[in-house]
Amino acid sequence: MKRKVTFIYVVVLLFAAAASAQVKQVRAGEATTVDLGGSGSATVYLFGPATAAKRKVQLPKVELSADDLSAAGVYTLIANGKATKLVVTAGPVSELAFLARPSRVPTAANGAINGSAFLFDKNQNLVRTPETVQFQLQEPSGKEETRTSTSKNGVAWARMNSGKKSGAAQFVARAGESSVRRVVQQVAADPCNIHMHAALAQPDARDVSNSTRLVVETDPIRDCSGNAVPDGTIVTFTSVGKHGRSTVDARIKQGIARAELPSEPGERLSVAAGVVVGNEIVWGGGQ
Amino acid sequence: MRDDAKPSPIDFHLQQLARDRRVVRLLVIAAALVLAVVLSALPLWLWASPAPAAVKVETSSAQPREVEDSTAQAVRRDYAQAWAAMSHALDQNNGSMLDANFAGTAREKLGRALKAQAANGLHRRIVDHGHSVRVTFYSLDGSAMQVEDTAQQETEYFDGGTLLKSEQGTVRYLAVLTPAENSWKVRILETVPNF
Repeated sequence: MKRKVTFIYVVVLLFAAAASAQVKQVRAGEATTVDLGGSGSATVYLFGPATAAKRKVQLPKVELSADDLSAAGVYTLIANGKATKLVVTAGPVSELAFLARPSRVPTAANGAINGSAFLFDKNQNLVRTPETVQFQLQEPSGKEETRTSTSKNGVAWARMNSGKKSGAAQFVARAGESSVRRVVQQVAADPCNIHMHAALAQPDARDVSNSTRLVVETDPIRDCSGNAVPDGTIVTFTSVGKHGRSTVDARIKQGIARAELPSEPGERLSVAAGVVVGNEIVWGGGQ
Repeated sequence: MRDDAKPSPIDFHLQQLARDRRVVRLLVIAAALVLAVVLSALPLWLWASPAPAAVKVETSSAQPREVEDSTAQAVRRDYAQAWAAMSHALDQNNGSMLDANFAGTAREKLGRALKAQAANGLHRRIVDHGHSVRVTFYSLDGSAMQVEDTAQQETEYFDGGTLLKSEQGTVRYLAVLTPAENSWKVRILETVPNF
């Protein structure tokens, strides 16, 4: 019986010690009163992440204003050589910092768009409690893709696929009442097929060399989702014949690339853009 | 001939005196030069940042992107420099010391603390015994990194020249770093009770 009583007494003592050692927690931007113990007047010092103060107070209590405690973190109160800790935690989510990359992305690319959201309260403190963050990508066609992520230590992230239609996609991050929008420009991906045709150039009265030339021209160049490949994209035409190789780099203009090459029976014409190779023509020998 | 004439003892003494004076003058000039060099170096020695504390960076928990070795090394170097700068700034109440290593919210909050310390005649000294940094988040595009830092530190709180309190132990920090032109800067730095 005596042992039992001693055990209970020890447990009670341990609980009491734990309770007294517990550090007081308050929310950032909220005023509070801290009991420092003792009595009489004393100078109290407050050291925090964004503050430092020195005040004459009447112990045992010291009042701290909302301004004193705007930054989250661990504060130290010193009175009569004794230090007391105070933990200030972030308030509810009020702001989002949203990093969305890249700003331009090819269409129909898996995991090509990524977003990271940092959650802050109204005092710019990281909100460390887990929060649900919704990432939404709205394509130019209106189609939406949504991912939900739970924040850890105030950070959440998501990876999205780009849509099939080129144009400005809206990338939105939402947490609580806050949302931030970023624009991701979806541009046509690599050409899907390049098809060219060739014809003899009209004789030019100013050309004194009397040589015949070929005009090679592509059909409208599109990616595999049907988006026009942007003007300015380089398309390379190559002609290989008895007299060697001729290469012309032409830019796509209004969806079509065009170039002039020397004409020679039996020459082999080819076209390519980036890693995509188009059809081949053997001039005077059928396609 | 006059040249062959033997100098009298008086002449000899006068010559030696002149030689001694020249030596003394040279010694005085040399001493003045040494003193000038020492005095000019004194402020550098006095205000120089303390040597950065040891920082260990652990990257195996980084998500969603792995941290490259060169990035981990850069973070270790820059985070150590940031702590050295911050310790010095908090001791000297000099905000300009933070500019090279801090940005955004961290810079702004530390700036507020320094202003308040200066206004109240207070300062704090952090004696840094090292950091164990664990990278928990590294964005896919490499534009932000979050770390959990377990530091061994001694913090001394001063009112003017009077030591108010000295504490020693483990302090935990949560930090977000972002790359700048040629270094990583601390953008968020919060003391946390636990991870």
